[in-house]
Amino acid sequence: MLISYNWLKSYIPEALDADKLTDIFNYHLCEMESLEKLPDGDTVFDIKVLPNRAHDLLSHQGVARELASLLNVKFVDPISKYKIPESKPTKLEIKIGVDKCRRYVGRIVRSVKVGPSPEWVVKHLESVGQRSINNMVDAANIVMFDCGQPTHVFDLNKMNNAIVVREAKEGESLTTLDNKEVRLKSSNMVIASPSPLPGEGRGEVLAIAGIKGGKIAEVDNNTKDIILEVANFDPTSVRKTAQAVNIVTDAKKRFENDLSPELCSYAMLEFSALIMEMCPEAVFEDMVDVYPQKQEVKKLSFSTGKISKILGLNVSVEEIRDILKRYNFEFVENSGKFTITVPSMRLDLVIEEDMAEEVGRILGYDKVKVKISKINFQPKQNETYAKILWARNKLLNDGYSEVMNSSFRNTGEVSVLASASDKNFLRTNLSDGLKESLKLNQTNMPLLGLSEIKIFEIGTVFKKSGEEMHVAYADKKEIKEMKLDEFGREGNSSLLSEEGVGGGDSKFKLWSLFPFIARDIAVWVPEEVESSKVYKVIKENAGDMVIRGPELFDEFKKGNQISYAFRLVFQSFDRTLTDQEVNDIMTKITNKIKENIGWQVR
Amino acid sequence: MNQETKKGTLHPLSLLAEEAYKVFSDMGFEIAVGPEMESEWYNFDVLNVPKDHPARDMQDTFWIKEKKDYVLRTHTTSVTARAIEQAGKEGRVPCAFVSIGKVFRNEATDATHEMQFYQIDGAMVGEDISIADMKGVLTHFYKKMLGEETVIEFRPSFFPFTEPSIEVFAKFKGKWLELGGSGMLHPNVLRNLGLDPAKVQGFAFGHGFDRIAMVRWGIPDVRFLYQGDLRLNQF
Repeated sequence: MLISYNWLKSYIPEALDADKLTDIFNYHLCEMESLEKLPDGDTVFDIKVLPNRAHDLLSHQGVARELASLLNVKFVDPISKYKIPESKPTKLEIKIGVDKCRRYVGRIVRSVKVGPSPEWVVKHLESVGQRSINNMVDAANIVMFDCGQPTHVFDLNKMNNAIVVREAKEGESLTTLDNKEVRLKSSNMVIASPSPLPGEGRGEVLAIAGIKGGKIAEVDNNTKDIILEVANFDPTSVRKTAQAVNIVTDAKKRFENDLSPELCSYAMLEFSALIMEMCPEAVFEDMVDVYPQKQEVKKLSFSTGKISKILGLNVSVEEIRDILKRYNFEFVENSGKFTITVPSMRLDLVIEEDMAEEVGRILGYDKVKVKISKINFQPKQNETYAKILWARNKLLNDGYSEVMNSSFRNTGEVSVLASASDKNFLRTNLSDGLKESLKLNQTNMPLLGLSEIKIFEIGTVFKKSGEEMHVAYADKKEIKEMKLDEFGREGNSSLLSEEGVGGGDSKFKLWSLFPFIARDIAVWVPEEVESSKVYKVIKENAGDMVIRGPELFDEFKKGNQISYAFRLVFQSFDRTLTDQEVNDIMTKITNKIKENIGWQVR
Repeated sequence: MNQETKKGTLHPLSLLAEEAYKVFSDMGFEIAVGPEMESEWYNFDVLNVPKDHPARDMQDTFWIKEKKDYVLRTHTTSVTARAIEQAGKEGRVPCAFVSIGKVFRNEATDATHEMQFYQIDGAMVGEDISIADMKGVLTHFYKKMLGEETVIEFRPSFFPFTEPSIEVFAKFKGKWLELGGSGMLHPNVLRNLGLDPAKVQGFAFGHGFDRIAMVRWGIPDVRFLYQGDLRLNQF
């Protein structure tokens, strides 16, 4: 969610400098993903509003109120600056025909002039990455980014002065404002004109409720009279419909996170005041407020003791009282026990633990000191893990090295319904993966400095009958696989390997993605010459492409001579080496060796 | 040639898991192991994940075609949940469990994302186990994993299964790294596991385990861990 610092400042003039807000967000509210300074002097934050605060924080006012409380600075309520339009009686009719619309507030405004927006509106919108379209659409967007309530504007002259909120009829369709043709299903909630009576009205769908407006009643440059929509819809219904029609909008994001229907009143006020500022000659009719599912006022009780116990921090009654005051919570307190009236926008506050979180994050979790309680608990040995460890140590001791392969395959007995990859099946055995792994590692034998590849894997396989833990091990002769339970029943080694595990802080050495070339060189030398002398000559002349070696892999005596065989592996990190250049290196080494009297390359 | 068999090399995740289990065992935790193919109940419902939560979408979670209402577990929290439930039945509360295992998410793979990866999950439940205990346990753990100079800190977060919810960060070589989620088990979760939230409380955490390995040793690509390539076994 993009938040403009200047926009915030209009509500909290005493806020800290933009740079200093990063830590406030990160440690007390939510992650600040980025901070960008705009050329016009504004700063834009990208904050990752947490799902439980998406009811009230996907808006500048919401964030400003939160910061005002966190920083303990004044919040400037905008209501007083709005000019409230005087309104006339209306003939607007609103009918809610589904329980998934909790409130619908509408208002007819006549004689508006569609045109460009005032400069402050354009700036505000641009600061949060929105393009100014015209004053009517911009007003709707400003309301949403300011107070969090999505709204909509219809051209009254392209419809009746009546609105129905209903479920779509199977197969009904709509062309969206951005010209997308959408076929609707009966589970989709729509805003429509009333069903046709003989001779009047057409009952068309005007908008997909809470998601996207339709082309049919679009506001254009000739629009004179409009209907303002400020409504509240069920979050699950909006989410499912949006998914079904594959449309993501800022409105949808807010509704699916659940908004308080109480917000509609404020939003209609702000919306009307904005239209009035833009079109002072406009004529406002009375708003029509259909509110069948009134939000209940909720109380929440919690004790100082319980909060302290959850946080592991002694919080005083005074500290909690201070927080509640800063957050403008109505509350009563009696010997450490608080009861608050939950603000309508704070749908996240339901249980005592929610208040523990509220207190914890506001004070800051850095206040909590470390502690490790000794609990009265006798851990048992986990049999499966003991078997895994035993099998692993046995195989390691027998010279097998461990690999892990993907659980996903192209074929199998158990599959997943949808996958981001082309492999939809789960492995039925470890052997198939191990076979591929064996091949890969055999190719790399010179790189690994091994003369034989022996590998194993311990892991879960998936069969029609269910999942099983298997052990499989492979060498050049055979691959064996069995259930973990069947592997070496005789064993009962200790749970944790005694020698301890290495690891340490050594750094991972990335391998080259280019092919390697391995070469052997064997040298006859007089028997008194040690291998290290030969090693030195080879090493000094091998160049910097040697990734492994020289490694002495063979030596034998014949008469008064001894043969040393060394292996060298060449590889580059940025290109494929050619045979020719390696040949040249080997020739150089050979020549250097020949310079020693009595040395001879075999 | 009659030479002694050379010992094989260990996969870095196994090495790290043995170390991690040792650290937690020393703090009195019991090791828990559980199924990779998990019921919707243990993977989501028990953990207070709402029925219509986006995490349950096919786009995020692998649903099993042949077994209705089963998924490839998206976290090992399902394992600790099962363990706590069992401990409750056996009258073994207070209790503490740790579990390291493979988890699955339906997402496109790149250097930092895999469809399968390892998670370390732990929980401690008792009469007055608090966020302070969580801080103590995790601080000790990460000092052992990443070095004594490692500092961890808690930042506000949100998960359906914990309240309060906390994101854990560690400062490693001068940089703050996101390690994963944690918090105090939500009373609904305790209730679902057969415990009485009025009597017991506890913390739980589920952190990326591959990530600890990658950070500690400087392994640049998570996919290296699951390619069956012995060049990985360097430690």
